[in-house]
Amino acid sequence: MLRTPLTVLLQRLLAGIPILVLLSLVVFVVLRALPSDPLGMMLPPSATRAEAQALSAALGLDKPLYVQFYIWLEKALGGDLGHSFLYQQSVVLLIAKALPVTLELVLVALCIALVISFPLALFAYSLYGKRWGVVPDTIVVVMQSIPAFLWGLLFIALFGVFFPVLPFSGQIGPDYHLPTITGFMLLDTLLLHNGPAFRDALAHMVLPACALALGFCPLVVRVLRSCLIEASREPYVMVARLRGVPARRILLRYIQKNALLPTITMIGVQFGFLFGSALLIEIIFSFPGIGSLMVSAVKSNDLPLIQGVTIVFGVLMVLINAVVDTLYVVLNPLLRDH
Amino acid sequence: MQDKIKAGRRSFLAGGAAALAASMLPMRELLAQGADQDTLIISYPNDVPSWDPTALTLPSAQSIYATVFDTPLRYSPDLKLEPMQISKWEWQDSTKQRLAITLHEGITFHDGSKLTMDDVKWSLLEHPAQDAKLAIRGMFPTLKDVEISSPTQAVLVYSKPTPTAPIFLGFLAAFILPSQYIKKVGMDGFLAKPIGAGPYRIVQYQRGSRLVLEAYDGYWGKKPAIKNVVFLFTPEASSRVALVESKRATLATGLPIREAQRLGKTPGITSEIYPISTMYMVKVPSYVKPFENDNVRKALHLAIDKSALSRALYAGKAVPLSVVAIKNSPAHVDDYVFPYNQKLAMQLLEKEGYSLKNPVKITLFTTNGTFPNDYDMARVLASMWKKVGIDAAVEVTTAAKAMEQSHNQKMTGLMLYNWANATGDPDNGAGRILDPRLRFSMWRDASLGPRIDHLFSEVDEAKRIAGYRELLKEASEKSWVIPLLQGVDTLAHDSRCNVPLQGNGYISPRLYSWKK
Repeated sequence: MLRTPLTVLLQRLLAGIPILVLLSLVVFVVLRALPSDPLGMMLPPSATRAEAQALSAALGLDKPLYVQFYIWLEKALGGDLGHSFLYQQSVVLLIAKALPVTLELVLVALCIALVISFPLALFAYSLYGKRWGVVPDTIVVVMQSIPAFLWGLLFIALFGVFFPVLPFSGQIGPDYHLPTITGFMLLDTLLLHNGPAFRDALAHMVLPACALALGFCPLVVRVLRSCLIEASREPYVMVARLRGVPARRILLRYIQKNALLPTITMIGVQFGFLFGSALLIEIIFSFPGIGSLMVSAVKSNDLPLIQGVTIVFGVLMVLINAVVDTLYVVLNPLLRDH
Repeated sequence: MQDKIKAGRRSFLAGGAAALAASMLPMRELLAQGADQDTLIISYPNDVPSWDPTALTLPSAQSIYATVFDTPLRYSPDLKLEPMQISKWEWQDSTKQRLAITLHEGITFHDGSKLTMDDVKWSLLEHPAQDAKLAIRGMFPTLKDVEISSPTQAVLVYSKPTPTAPIFLGFLAAFILPSQYIKKVGMDGFLAKPIGAGPYRIVQYQRGSRLVLEAYDGYWGKKPAIKNVVFLFTPEASSRVALVESKRATLATGLPIREAQRLGKTPGITSEIYPISTMYMVKVPSYVKPFENDNVRKALHLAIDKSALSRALYAGKAVPLSVVAIKNSPAHVDDYVFPYNQKLAMQLLEKEGYSLKNPVKITLFTTNGTFPNDYDMARVLASMWKKVGIDAAVEVTTAAKAMEQSHNQKMTGLMLYNWANATGDPDNGAGRILDPRLRFSMWRDASLGPRIDHLFSEVDEAKRIAGYRELLKEASEKSWVIPLLQGVDTLAHDSRCNVPLQGNGYISPRLYSWKK
């Protein structure tokens, strides 16, 4: 059977459905098994135990677990992830507002990471085995040793306090009151043809996105450099050299192209982890994304919101993996015929 | 190979140049933030969870709610109940079940409509009756009717004597909502576009990021001196410090004590570490061994050097407490001091068969980051206890988990706790902490229930306060709950701004002004 990119995409997406159902079941059971009170935030100090039980009944928390899960699943399939205990709002609505913020941050960070990583990997490859090869290695080790949130704090201290050249709180300055179109701030400012707002939003994006990106770069640099070294030892590279093909052309046309395949797989897998790092970055830079939402939900034990955000993370992972697998088939024709 | 090297270097340099160009985005207008005399930028740790201020009793949200909605009554900086939207209140009967209230003339909501007694009745009585999830239900449990005689006059009728009813009109969740507006746009419409009757109206709100407010021209009271207020929601403490230090924020609250001290030495920044109406205490579960033992509990209490705790963790600003009431509050027992006495603590433990070689083993639960230095305080307490023969294992928990365990009588150790009582009245302090029927209570002595009920309905104020003082003293003496320190809050602000401090720790932009 011929495997086209589209069939691969569909297969991966369909395979994700049982995974998501299983994930929702596990999260549902674990959350309710925890000895933690979801009503703690909702009741006043004067609330008696009887009043707590009445509220528990009003929220359906007194029903057997399987009944609660059935009700939740039935509604979830209809696009209703419940009502947040803390925010007293629809979980879907809360996530719909927060998700674009995180997606934008993560995508910009990914772009920055690639812009830094690819030249750095080529640079490291070019110095491989040489005395100065230690320079890119050191850069990579330093980047790898510092987690994203620490980069964030360093950037705030450096570019926010000592040399106050960039903003570090929120997505845009308080002077800009813009209507929401897509929820992606940079895109919205462009759609509104508001140049100053775009510049302001971009300036607000620089530090958090760079902090996130620097945590991601070392992996890309290391994998790409290793793949470049490995590919450069292939017989077809030797043949090309013997035929007098210029070294630059060999690198860009033959070596880099083949080294990209495993790198893309790794980027796809690690891209999911960027969402995890974004959680702390959002807190530090006051980005109202899905990470901030998750932290608030966990702090107040807001069961529907934790459940909803977890499912959305699950959906994102399924989508990312499906896209990576598809991309792999697109880039590697050998995988298409069986 | 040399070509390859050049290509790599060129790519790297090109990439570096691009990265540098991307970082050259500073804009002068961004740096101007915080310097505008018409604007006050507050870096604040928490957002409001919901725009229905009657839904939750969350102390950290009260500052923002009061700024947008105003309060029926309010507490002065030194915690005295004062008129606000309600200009006058008085009991009509000796049993304190009929409270006559008068609204100020000319109060309007941000849409220009008048705030009347219909709104009061809807907010305190009808709205809570429609929704079992609203926290305001628990704040006015005995309110059975609001008898309206005119748009500005009414009588609040209580089902049983409720002598402390007025304090709840200046406390959590007591906000008057625009009933007609809500009926017109629906609750979801209101939550999406809330209006209140406070000194500031909402211009823009982005959940979890910022709230932009503008002084409301139609406000009935004294107009705020600063026209625009921006709350930047900054959950990370180091980011709040950086915002105020870089002058991007005029004011930041909830700072780590050491950072507040450091910022205080920075030119142009004033920092405050000040006592507020919260109490740090150790809650004792009566149903757990060895806490049912009088001598063990008393030894726990005697072994704590509260002044040393304050000096070590709160720059000496947290006032040591002998009872669970803050100093200068009505029920504080001024002439009573619970001693710090390690020797006596060891003697009491010895009577129960414990010693330094054979210590009594207990668990102390604490939160980490819920209030300033909570985890550090737990560790210091453990080290103080160790010196007298008490081996305390410190375990971190969450407020939600502790609540669940307290609710189900499943606490297995002591709990370090922060109790916020913005009114300073003992009804909201000892009356809740020691009531065995409430979920917050860990000391479950059934005989305390009727005693507290009696104090709740005692109409003679002198007798009520005397009764509470007696209860507080006994609770401390018998160590049913171990009072530690009056809580502190921190803030740092631009020295050019006048920032009067509030005894309950609330932020009140309406009172702030720029120095001339």
